[in-house]
Amino acid sequence: MPILSFAWLALLFSVPLWMADLYVLHVLIVTGIFIIAAMSLNLLLGYTGQLSLGHVAFFGIGAYVSSLVSLGCQVHLLPHWQVSLAAQPVWVGMLSGVAAAGLSGFLIGKIAFKVRGAYFVIVTVSFAEVVHLVALNWVELTQGPMALNNIRPLTLSIPFLVDISFARKPASYYLVLTVALVAYVLIRRLVRSRAGRAMVALRENEPLAASVGVDVTRYLVLATVLSAAIAGAAGVLYAHYVRIVDPDIFLFIYTVIMVIMVISGGKGTLAGPIVGGLIFGLLPEVLRAFAIKPEVQWVIYGVLMVLIVYFLPEGIVPAARSAWLALARPAAWRNAPRLMR
Amino acid sequence: MSISRIVSAVCAIGWISLGPALGQDSIKIGVTQPLTGAFAASGNYVAQGARMAEGDVNKAGGVIGKKIELIIEDNKSNPTEAVATAEKLIQKDKVPVMMGAWSSTLTLAVMPKLMEYEVPMLVETSSSGKITTSGNPWIFRISPTSEMEAKAFAPLVKTIGIKKADMLYTNNDFGIGAAQEFAAMLKASGVEIGARETMDPKAVDFSAQLAKIKASRGDTLFVTTAVEQITLILKQAKEQRLNERIITTGGSNSPDQLIAQAGEAANGSMHLVFFTPWFPDAVKNPDVAKQFLALWKEKNFPVGGLTEGFRGWDGIHVIASAISAAGVAEPEAIGKALWTVKVRGINGDIAFIKQGPAGKESAQNVPSVYLVKIDAGKVAMAQ
Amino acid sequence: MEQLLQHGVNALVLGGTYALLGIGLTLIFGIMRVVNFTHGELYSFGAYMMFLWVMQAGVNFFLALPLAVLLGLLLGAGIELLLLRRLRGADIDTTMLVMIGAWIALQNFEQLCWSGVAKSIATPFPAAPLVLGPVAVSWNRLFVFIVAIALIAATQALVKGTRLGKAMRATFQDRDTAALMGVDIALIHTATFALGSALAAAAGALLGPVFVVYPTMGDLASLKAFAIVILGGLGSIPGAAAGGFILAFIEELGAGYISSGYRDAMGFLLIIVILLVRPTGLVAQRERIS
Repeated sequence: MPILSFAWLALLFSVPLWMADLYVLHVLIVTGIFIIAAMSLNLLLGYTGQLSLGHVAFFGIGAYVSSLVSLGCQVHLLPHWQVSLAAQPVWVGMLSGVAAAGLSGFLIGKIAFKVRGAYFVIVTVSFAEVVHLVALNWVELTQGPMALNNIRPLTLSIPFLVDISFARKPASYYLVLTVALVAYVLIRRLVRSRAGRAMVALRENEPLAASVGVDVTRYLVLATVLSAAIAGAAGVLYAHYVRIVDPDIFLFIYTVIMVIMVISGGKGTLAGPIVGGLIFGLLPEVLRAFAIKPEVQWVIYGVLMVLIVYFLPEGIVPAARSAWLALARPAAWRNAPRLMR
Repeated sequence: MSISRIVSAVCAIGWISLGPALGQDSIKIGVTQPLTGAFAASGNYVAQGARMAEGDVNKAGGVIGKKIELIIEDNKSNPTEAVATAEKLIQKDKVPVMMGAWSSTLTLAVMPKLMEYEVPMLVETSSSGKITTSGNPWIFRISPTSEMEAKAFAPLVKTIGIKKADMLYTNNDFGIGAAQEFAAMLKASGVEIGARETMDPKAVDFSAQLAKIKASRGDTLFVTTAVEQITLILKQAKEQRLNERIITTGGSNSPDQLIAQAGEAANGSMHLVFFTPWFPDAVKNPDVAKQFLALWKEKNFPVGGLTEGFRGWDGIHVIASAISAAGVAEPEAIGKALWTVKVRGINGDIAFIKQGPAGKESAQNVPSVYLVKIDAGKVAMAQ
Repeated sequence: MEQLLQHGVNALVLGGTYALLGIGLTLIFGIMRVVNFTHGELYSFGAYMMFLWVMQAGVNFFLALPLAVLLGLLLGAGIELLLLRRLRGADIDTTMLVMIGAWIALQNFEQLCWSGVAKSIATPFPAAPLVLGPVAVSWNRLFVFIVAIALIAATQALVKGTRLGKAMRATFQDRDTAALMGVDIALIHTATFALGSALAAAAGALLGPVFVVYPTMGDLASLKAFAIVILGGLGSIPGAAAGGFILAFIEELGAGYISSGYRDAMGFLLIIVILLVRPTGLVAQRERIS
């Protein structure tokens, strides 16, 4: 299997070398950013089993905080008390964005995990909507509908050695790819550790897990913080690549896109959000090439989602894995417990 | 790691790398307008006007021996999306010139991309002063700035008899800029400014703002926003029994649409427009205006869109004229040529003057401004 | 004081429609345990149907209204039969995803048919408001309030007084026992979804003419409906009605006295606060934590 992984990685790293069309590279970069966000959502949705539908809030918080820190801002916290922050280097902004997202994950985790099920869904959705409305209305800080413009891209300059501006597409592609890999490795390690097994236990049967001594809240909050931080990292990358951020980044539709990517790819699997992300991230561009109206594209999306749920209820990756096993090793497939298929 | 992942990824990358080869015989002009979202009504009118102009230019033989082809992208009334459309038009469709993006916020969002890729853009509607004073030499604006509009209105303050004015404006660059300019102009004319209320561009309920405005007891309310919100404001002002005369600014107020949708509530309101389709002889070039009116009627486009659609028409004709003058469909050449155009447009004669920091000036036209009034369901000139 | 009364009147009108939205969703959510993301789309569907019949087909306004509600009922039944029936017994994620897919398809279909430009619906009501002492209320909004109250009362009567209603309540309390007692669960599910959707469509058909109709109008309505359900407690009609009015009052007063921009945020902040303090909502119903 490692050979396949290396081939896969090599292919990914080589793309900017042979892809001449910068627009395609642009699409891949944005898709990559959404895949990072989808992977983070998978941690909550897939592994811990929590139906968090406010995930875009972490993405947006990362984007806004990073932009504001790197642009500098001044705001009146009270009518006569002005607080101002000078413009910081971009990498400071980026780290602040990730930290802020993680912190908000911690806060919302502490609050939201007092309830479960439908109520949990609604708390998370409400949280995202509140953050959306704050971004829209606190104009002095966030510029509201006028958007935060002219965000500086990340630059890396070591005199005489390196001078890269990540405004250029190939450099951005590598940055996004690197962050995606780091996120993947982090999630993988967590999931395969003791903490990860505890989380899966929570997903499968919370009262039972609690009864054998699993500290429910601790693991849930841990998952949320990590998930939020990674989503925040995706938001940070987005802000410094697209270089404009407006309150519409918090729209519910973006959470929906992430949810589609995770669930159609296969929640609770490592590869699921990647496959789902590639499909639903690249699909609009493929459809655009056929000059179909955007509304028709989205109708196709909707229908496709419903079909995937009907025919591949666990997602594409588990279905593909199952088919592969059935073809290659029928005996093992027959004998595998249901969960492993 | 499963094979399915690799296969799907490779397929996806390969598939989108293909993409159909586009026609090489036409000159592409990129247009980014809000076709959906909070500014959709006006954005669609501008797009319709632009399409008509495309047909008109091509009927006359096109430019430099080729036909022009408009590629119209929807920026969804959202600044991030506006940037995405600019990216797509410049990177994917390789347009040498653009027109857009309607709202000032959207245009300001696109401007860094123009600098980065060095492509000129014709601004047909946006009114914020910042657009031509930021030192972006790729901007060519034919619409008036809020400052010009306010200056044109100044002599009418005494005629109408305004003593205390309130302001209600949308919370983006368009509304905020207009409010600043009009407030300054009014103060200079000795008018007291009462309440200054804002709203989100997507809001539909203004009862809270109108209640505060009513409490200020001014005699005139200046409203600056898109036509969808103006309709609702007129209706809700009537419901709240607001006694002030309402004057809308910005030119994107489509009085005919207001009459049709707000009905009685529109009577008594005044509007600053940049084209008077009801009185084509009042404009500088009546023959161009009448040609435009006839074509619009032929296409059966909504009457309410005339005061907005002309922007698209004028814009595309200016671009076409520039491409002819440049002789090639290259961004830099078109940019240079735009400085030299003189076009007989629907809103007067269009020519550009320099505006902004020396060495990096943007281009600005000086268009005409008219004030009209709605009375008993009809539009009349008010000056 | 006059302003306060005016805000109160506005809140009552808004509350009526919020209550309709909330009741519809609490029935669906409570009885079927489906996270119904298409609820907002039924709301905008109701509004678009009014536009279609009144503006495009020239039907009388007062005839178009029940027609729009009826079409909402049918659409709801259709969605249940076509999409949800097969998923009986599936986990909550699956049904949620199907509902999201349906939501995307419906919203974009509306945009395809009517474009993204906001539409106005002409009403037969006079533009000048009805003046009642210090407050004024437009005839249109008064009509909305009256119809909303009537529909709420009718729904309560249906659920408390008819056999169908009894079967619905039984299914809500304990599905398996209800099935054992001979209740046709499949029929109840279809009826519930249809009824909830009809109420959402009614809210949209009533509010559409007051404001404007555009494809994404249902999104915020959907979120607010969920908020109202929480406020009122799952499955409780009086709770949802109360929740609707409370949300409307908080929004109106918040917008009038605190900040008009944060109007929509009030409701969501309230949700978060309430759930921290009293996780089962205002009208206590047990929600198993699992």
